Amino acid sequence: MNKYATLRFSSCWTAIGLLATLSYSAGAGQTSDDSLASMFALSAFGTLGVVHSSEDRADFTYNIFRPEGAGYSQAWSPDVDSRVGGQIVASLAPRLSAMVQVISEQNYDNTFTPHVEWANLKYQVTPYASIRVGRIVLPSFLVSDSRNVGYTNAWIRPPVELYSLVPVDSSDGVDVSYRLHSGRVIQTLVGTYGETNSTLPAGGTGNSRRQWIVSDTVEYGSLTVHAAYQEAHLTLSNLHALFGHFRQFGAQGNALADTYDPYNRRLTFFGMGAMYDPGAWFVMGEWGTTDFHSVLGKSTAWYASTGYRLGKVTPYLTYGELHADSNRSDPGLTVSTLPPFLAGPARGLNGALNSILGSISDQRTMSIGARWDFVKNVDLKLQYDHTRHGAGSPGTLINLQPDFQPGGTVDLFSVAIDFVW
Amino acid sequence: MSVSLSVALSLAAGAAVADVVPVVSARSAVTALSNSQLADIFLGKVSHFPNGLPAVPIDLAEDSLVRDEFYAKFLGKTPAQIKAFWAKIIFTGRGHPPKTMSNGTALKKFIADNNNAIGYLEREWVDSSVKALAQP
Repeated sequence: MNKYATLRFSSCWTAIGLLATLSYSAGAGQTSDDSLASMFALSAFGTLGVVHSSEDRADFTYNIFRPEGAGYSQAWSPDVDSRVGGQIVASLAPRLSAMVQVISEQNYDNTFTPHVEWANLKYQVTPYASIRVGRIVLPSFLVSDSRNVGYTNAWIRPPVELYSLVPVDSSDGVDVSYRLHSGRVIQTLVGTYGETNSTLPAGGTGNSRRQWIVSDTVEYGSLTVHAAYQEAHLTLSNLHALFGHFRQFGAQGNALADTYDPYNRRLTFFGMGAMYDPGAWFVMGEWGTTDFHSVLGKSTAWYASTGYRLGKVTPYLTYGELHADSNRSDPGLTVSTLPPFLAGPARGLNGALNSILGSISDQRTMSIGARWDFVKNVDLKLQYDHTRHGAGSPGTLINLQPDFQPGGTVDLFSVAIDFVW
Repeated sequence: MSVSLSVALSLAAGAAVADVVPVVSARSAVTALSNSQLADIFLGKVSHFPNGLPAVPIDLAEDSLVRDEFYAKFLGKTPAQIKAFWAKIIFTGRGHPPKTMSNGTALKKFIADNNNAIGYLEREWVDSSVKALAQP
């Protein structure tokens, strides 16, 4: 194990140790001081998992903020699914509460330094209306709010086809939630406004500004239906720098940059999903579409998943598809009309443009797995995924090596243990 | 032979799994709740009884067999499913599970003293201080 790896693991264990200490002191508080215990609620969750990929010329991972994963970088990667999180909720006044959730998981720089996932103040205006200010969940998907808590879902990770459409899950700003009851139908409307700022593994930043989302969740007994519409203005600093070079190539370069430059570019997402879970079995599905109005293109994805509970064991089956709806190549700058000293750089820019367009994901995955609730508050999961990439596409894989062949198939084997406390 | 076997099996089942009933205070106006109404109250989806009065669900501690039987019989859910349900709510700061009582005696006393409270007990524990709810 090299120094770098040692550092990463030690910071992960520091986070676990910190949470254990917090848990212990809170447990002690519950017996010695009842008022303190009723003011603070402490909880923790985590997943320890490993993934093996049959494709060793690229990495499979969870989302675009991960620097490496299973396949090329590691034969069995613990980084894809492993995380530990702790949360404290404080009731400050009858209608006012504060919450902080900290997660340690693989960061963009391959460390496990804990980050603040959510931290907000909540004011309960009426029993059915509340306002939150701070870092808040983005309710883009049916299971957005619990995508990090493996224990709450049957599968090891949400289907990457759909959940890669909106890789961020929090927003710094404000949200307003309103709950309506009519008979047994419960409707929850949420409006969120804010921004999300991230650092990307390849360097550079992603800034999602003027970000707003409206979501509606309808619950009727065992049925939950969710829909969300989201807009933001996205800037990706590294890609913006690339298109700055295009702008030095006259009208044609400017036109290409205007089409593709992800600088303060409006992105839209619309998604809807439903889940029916009467207890002994479940069926769920979601559909969504994202348009970046830039070089990142337009994509549509969906999945369907079902499981049947046999005592403590729940076998499940999931099928998902992700399609690119926009062009995945472009002729770029016309090199033949350029003087020789500009033709070389122009070819380089065309290559860069086409490599980004070509990496837009197109894939379908069949997953089969089982969850075993073998001991209280802990589960064990096994999952097999078979992914077929669209013609010429690397799918959602990262760290593509020169001899990687796009348009192929990948088999993934995953094992995970989830807990909640 | 087969009759005596099925009697023996049902006796064995009866011994293993208690007859659990939902209960409210003897002074509560509520007399009956359907399984779906119980589910909405115990999963925190509604905070009122159908008659409009506030409803405060009370649970037994997590290791209680009576608690497991209540959730299996009336909500059709296993302890792991209930834990997973509340984990979703807790880890987004949207709410918290019902207050818990460490044993049936404490639960019965709390229910008897609070008109808005609703809990569950083994049927033989029901006395004049609490009222077992009927299924409509």
